[in-house]
Amino acid sequence: MAQIPNLEHAPLNLKSIREKSQRELENLLKDIHGNRCLVIDPKLSGSLSLIIQTSKLKELGLELRHLSEEPVQTECTKLIYLVRSQLSFMKFIASHIQNDISKAIQRDYYVYFVPRRSVACEKILEQEKVHSLVTVKEFPLYMVPLDEDVISFELELSEKDSLVDGDVSSLWHVAKAIHELEFSFGVISKVRAKGKASVRVADILNRMQVEEPVNSNDVGRPEVDTLILLDREVDMVTPMCSQLTYEGLLDEFLHISNGAVEVDTSVMDIQPEGRKMKVPLNSSDKLFKETRDLNFEVVVQVLRQKATTMKEDYTEINSTQTVSELKDFVKKLNSLPEITRHIHLAQHLTTFTSKQSFLSQLDMEQTLVEAESYDICFEYIEEMIHKQEPLTNVLRLLVLFSVTNSGLPKKQFDYIRMELLHSYGFEHVVTLNNLEKAGLLKKQEFKSNWLTVKRTLKLIVEETDMSRADDIAYVYSGYAPLSIRLIQQAIHSGWRPIEDILKLLPGPHLETKRSGFPSSPSVDSLHGASNGIADGRRSIVLVVFIGGVTFAEISALRYLASKEGMAYDVIIATTKIVNGSTLIETFMEKLG
Amino acid sequence: LLWKESWDMGKNPMASKGSPLHGPRIKLIEKARNLFSQTKEHTFESKAAEEHAKLLKIQHELEASTKQAIFVDSSINDTIRTCIVLGNNRAATKVKAEFKVSDKRWYFLKAFALATIKDWEALEKF
Repeated sequence: MAQIPNLEHAPLNLKSIREKSQRELENLLKDIHGNRCLVIDPKLSGSLSLIIQTSKLKELGLELRHLSEEPVQTECTKLIYLVRSQLSFMKFIASHIQNDISKAIQRDYYVYFVPRRSVACEKILEQEKVHSLVTVKEFPLYMVPLDEDVISFELELSEKDSLVDGDVSSLWHVAKAIHELEFSFGVISKVRAKGKASVRVADILNRMQVEEPVNSNDVGRPEVDTLILLDREVDMVTPMCSQLTYEGLLDEFLHISNGAVEVDTSVMDIQPEGRKMKVPLNSSDKLFKETRDLNFEVVVQVLRQKATTMKEDYTEINSTQTVSELKDFVKKLNSLPEITRHIHLAQHLTTFTSKQSFLSQLDMEQTLVEAESYDICFEYIEEMIHKQEPLTNVLRLLVLFSVTNSGLPKKQFDYIRMELLHSYGFEHVVTLNNLEKAGLLKKQEFKSNWLTVKRTLKLIVEETDMSRADDIAYVYSGYAPLSIRLIQQAIHSGWRPIEDILKLLPGPHLETKRSGFPSSPSVDSLHGASNGIADGRRSIVLVVFIGGVTFAEISALRYLASKEGMAYDVIIATTKIVNGSTLIETFMEKLG
Repeated sequence: LLWKESWDMGKNPMASKGSPLHGPRIKLIEKARNLFSQTKEHTFESKAAEEHAKLLKIQHELEASTKQAIFVDSSINDTIRTCIVLGNNRAATKVKAEFKVSDKRWYFLKAFALATIKDWEALEKF
């Protein structure tokens, strides 16, 4: 099965976005004739694989290389660099060119920035005296559809950039991407934003509309009705908890990247063993579509049941008489590879989920979220450090502790930081400093208001029945993600009813109607039930997470969208798909 | 002040990255410590830098006395464990005292280290 998801059933025509990017890239490459070698920024190649198949690039007669410090080994006379605008890459490119010059190799150089050029990068090329040798262009790739209902802007550092370094260029990127969407699907009339970055993005978006308006006559009726912008900063609790959905767990333990996980062949029972293989995970896989959003406990049951019916069918085949019965059986057999694949994956996951350390970690998360007995948790974290458990795990829990408790008491704060440095090395002082700057780890200054937030928004749901989910809390087995509760409110009634709660959470909030588009129908009904039905399609809510979203949150949103009485389809866009560990890792500075 | 803060920050990673030459490195860390101690908010960072310098010195001495280049750049815990694994209990206790390692952590470390070298007898004794 292909890694590129089939986008046929997407509520929004995401396929057209993908095709547009594909065309743009092809055109850029076709501009250059001769022996071409495409040198790709390694991080980009993942996103590119979701847009265009490598075989297609090879068909265009390109040699493919990954960009690294090493000079490019190729016979080609034209080098095309496809890179994000990062300063270190410019140094690489400059050194490649200088290396060629010293060896008297003549080549043409092209640098394509994704998604746009930056002054700082070109300055470096000038300093290295190679700027006049390269042709600079842009490949405006602002987003990549990950699945039928998920778009990624592929900005993995946006949370750290804006919280620690105060670099907000990623926000421009987000606004630009949304504006691009508006060019295809019409101007979004209702905007609801919460968090500093979100409000900024809404602002930039408005300015873009003024400077470069979308002509509503070109695009027809707007397909997207509401835009909800949410900062990750508003809810740092949720990503720090372990996700308990199938896809979430796959991400926690095996790390899903660009819609696939990499596992040992032995896990999938495929010869030869000891090799790595990629397993694609997207909704083109029917069984995965059915199970990805379920609580993992339920997934195991579903798989077991499928396997059993399969077995029954198999025994029945002996007594089968007619050809049509036989045909049915063969049809069922076709789903066999899918079932085995997921049974292997699920089995592999249980080796992690049955570990004692995972179970007690879950226990602690639950205790913290319920805001009970902080002392026990503190002792537990202390013990984790003593046992030298992975630093990211310790920090995850510590951040959860700090966020729900609005900080640590001063004495404990200094004590635990020193213990961390003693146990994991002094170089982590930078990490601690980053987390502190981002407000994720701090001294307690005032009483926490988490209890109020928790109670008002009903974040803890007692007695959730995993098999028959009736609330989004099932994705964390009892804890309903704060972020999704907020979105639930925003969709159904806007911010007004929960303004008091919003004030307790970080950042300002904003609710506006964008006007001045005469041809767009006035949308007043809050539930929006009346519009969008006309052409048999529901209107769409675009939910944008600035700073990342977890798979479990996506699952919860899908669940909301599937519920009865919901008048909208939901499309999720994010700067990057994250989990607690990947989020923490962005705060760790790599040294040396 | 803000400007200085960011400068301090830039200084410190540089210091911990360092070169294989330990003399200048320790000096650099001490310089960072002085900068940290000039502002009120950075007492913690200042202390960390101080301890870091101390640790590097001790690790340096250990490497000289054991003739094995395995100490520098490991954490305090690792240093203590390595000492115990090498059977150098005295050095381990010294490091413990130097950094006021709590008894709780000390027992964890010792138990782990002794288990690593399968010294069950010593493990039983303590």
